[in-house]
Amino acid sequence: MTMERANTAKRLPFFPYPAQSPLLRVDKLSLRYVSRTGPTAILSDVSFELGRGEILGVIGESGAGKSTVGNAILGLLAPEFEQTSGTIAFDGKVLDSMSVGECEALRGKRISAIFQDHTASLDPLMSIGAQVEETCLVLDPSLSRGAARARAIDLLARVGIPEPERRYRSYPHQFSGGQRQRIVIAIALAGSPDIIIADEPTSALDATVQKQVLELLRKLVDETGVSVILVTHDMGVVSEITDRVLVMRKGHVVEADDTAAILDHPRHDYTKSLLAAVPRLRIPAKGESGEGVAPSSGETATVERPLLVAEAISKEFMPQGFGLGSVLGIGQKRPGFGLRDVGIRLPRGTITGIVGESGSGKTTFGRILAGLDTAHEGRIVIGGHSFEAATSGRRSGLLGRVQMIFQDPSVSLNPRLTIAETLEESIRFGARVGSGDRSATEAAGAMMDRLGLARSLLARHPHQLSGGQKQRVCIARALLANPEIIVADEPTSALDVSVQAEIVRLLKETISEKGMTMVFISHDLAIVQAMCSAVYIFKNGRVEDFGPSDFIFSRSDNPYTRTLIAARPERFTC
Amino acid sequence: MTASKVLLASYILVAIAAPLIAPQNPYDPLQIFGWEASSPPGTMGSGGYLYLLGTDGLGRDIVSTILYGLRISLVVAIVSSAIAALIGLTAGVSAAYFGKWVDATIMRLVDLQLSLPTILIALIAIVTLGPGIDRIILALVIVQWATYARIARGVALSEVKKPYMDAARLMRLPTSRVIFRHLLPNSIAPAITLIPIEVGHAVALEATLSFLGLGVPIDKPSLGSAVANGFQYLMTGQYWISLFPGLALFGLIACINLVGEDVRRNLDPRSQTR
Repeated sequence: MTMERANTAKRLPFFPYPAQSPLLRVDKLSLRYVSRTGPTAILSDVSFELGRGEILGVIGESGAGKSTVGNAILGLLAPEFEQTSGTIAFDGKVLDSMSVGECEALRGKRISAIFQDHTASLDPLMSIGAQVEETCLVLDPSLSRGAARARAIDLLARVGIPEPERRYRSYPHQFSGGQRQRIVIAIALAGSPDIIIADEPTSALDATVQKQVLELLRKLVDETGVSVILVTHDMGVVSEITDRVLVMRKGHVVEADDTAAILDHPRHDYTKSLLAAVPRLRIPAKGESGEGVAPSSGETATVERPLLVAEAISKEFMPQGFGLGSVLGIGQKRPGFGLRDVGIRLPRGTITGIVGESGSGKTTFGRILAGLDTAHEGRIVIGGHSFEAATSGRRSGLLGRVQMIFQDPSVSLNPRLTIAETLEESIRFGARVGSGDRSATEAAGAMMDRLGLARSLLARHPHQLSGGQKQRVCIARALLANPEIIVADEPTSALDVSVQAEIVRLLKETISEKGMTMVFISHDLAIVQAMCSAVYIFKNGRVEDFGPSDFIFSRSDNPYTRTLIAARPERFTC
Repeated sequence: MTASKVLLASYILVAIAAPLIAPQNPYDPLQIFGWEASSPPGTMGSGGYLYLLGTDGLGRDIVSTILYGLRISLVVAIVSSAIAALIGLTAGVSAAYFGKWVDATIMRLVDLQLSLPTILIALIAIVTLGPGIDRIILALVIVQWATYARIARGVALSEVKKPYMDAARLMRLPTSRVIFRHLLPNSIAPAITLIPIEVGHAVALEATLSFLGLGVPIDKPSLGSAVANGFQYLMTGQYWISLFPGLALFGLIACINLVGEDVRRNLDPRSQTR
């Protein structure tokens, strides 16, 4: 007890909330993960406090242990975890991080949780009203059914579900992702908890929806006085709604302070590098110098004969067949998004961005350009050769002219092949030069050097590489096939922020060095602005807006473009 | 666990060494003394060796019959499982890769296969093909390939959608290379774990067929037909002709299944940390 006092006293300058005792206090918590290969330290001496009505952001890159902190408080750790020191005290009572049973009443009722995957958080076979109602009943068995129902409707209304009475009987799949996450929040609120632990609550959502959900969280905190621990990797999220921030790295707390202080005066180098790595959106003021030049340079680029022209590409949803085919299971049904009359022009040697939210058809469009998917209508012209988009890429000869870099590097490399085997395949079959001889090995090695990868990695298998290294190998594979055009589909969104910047830089450099042309598909406006000279904005399978990059970000009057730009965290817009 | 491994190892060892350690070659009529048929265990034979487990109705030494029968049972089971796995995995993976009518055709064949009792299919196959060790192997392959195909297809369907497969297609690799170098190696892990269990099934099924008299030729008994040979003598108290080959068969299947289960658990990708 005296120990604890001493600690509090020592940390006083850090946290300006000691006037009343903090709602939650984590004190020198250390955890390790015990596996067959021996114990690994996951958390080392993590200490922080959470006051009432406060949003504490816990930020860090993958492997920082930020989710483990949340799970320890919830008592959701796997049995392989072992607490080696420290305490978690909730409202003056010490919790045992390892046992759920002991503090069951507390956890769930007074501490609840929101997770990233809103689809997995809800029971698909139960109406959403019933799910909220059930939680209310479990947490307060004295409620009558009618009262529970009234409470559920009230909760759904509070989180912004329109017409909750009418939609009470609807099932999760009848809601959008943002609405589902709102329902999850309603369930988390059911027991009127003191703390909500939100683990990446908006990472699976589109930027515009993310903003709305964050605003809702902030509003709920202000209205009900609940405290939130917001675990995230996204500085943007932190900057928008948190009061204080805990920066974590490799299980240690690097820095903890008020959000404004962290953002304006980061003290630790790691925090500085995290902040510097966040891509920033520049919005040139209207009439700013240089802006007048941009459209004309864009025009000269289009006057010159473009390398690739896609005309009137349309793709419909895969129809649900009733014929013999569907009975026999012939024909693949992949969830496709419709494209309607989409056309783009790619000037040679440029990087063109395609921006859109999920479901806008941007990925499908990229796959059609590469010949991996077929459209129902349309034509693709590359350097004078015309390809029917409705014919399979292999048959029309389109396949192989365009290389792709995919979103998730962990599934983009054949796990059974070494890096050298993967790259040499690209040289032999993609570029069709040199067959397995010295020159292919040398070319692969030279490419590794160029992308800043050690040649010793060539002998490794993908699972022995980090995410950033794997994505570089994917870039190497695409470049070595020596295509004229590369389609990069969200190549950085599966990576940590600090790695993202490096990948973006490398992509931009190598593409211009080789004189290649690139289509850069992304949902992140700031990265697109940093990469691209022209931008197409997709919405619901159509091109909503397009133009030179500067024009789009400063002068476009298109309301949707403006909404997208407004959804960016203000902090990282300048 | 280890006991079953030791037992299986010794089964395989004696099967290989059978011609060296068996007192008699039961396939050679010159070494068989017909007048010593159905001798009880422990009888001294005219060949100068003890009939440790007695002789069968034709005068063959039961110990030797078991040792030689073991060879046949094991070879039939292992060879048929290997061929079935090869065919089944390739068919399943191809179905997933090509989709459309190729998939439909292969998978409807699989359904047909799995909708009928295995013993019935094996019977039909043997009746149509005629007896013989190669025919038995063929029948067992026909019975077994479908299981592999179905499992491999399921895994391959999710693998086909992964970006590394798209990347392989973008390289304009020959189709055979895409299937055998990229898709197959990543799709077979769960199906491979089936092989040890399926070998156990194959031993049992071969024994069943042989017991029914539809299996291996009468002059080259497997364990199953060795059991069947003694069937008619059970009523007259000459239990040893059926009992001892039966026990040997029981031990074999039991330890293959135990070891197979162990191997499956160790190979299961979910139990491994990647």
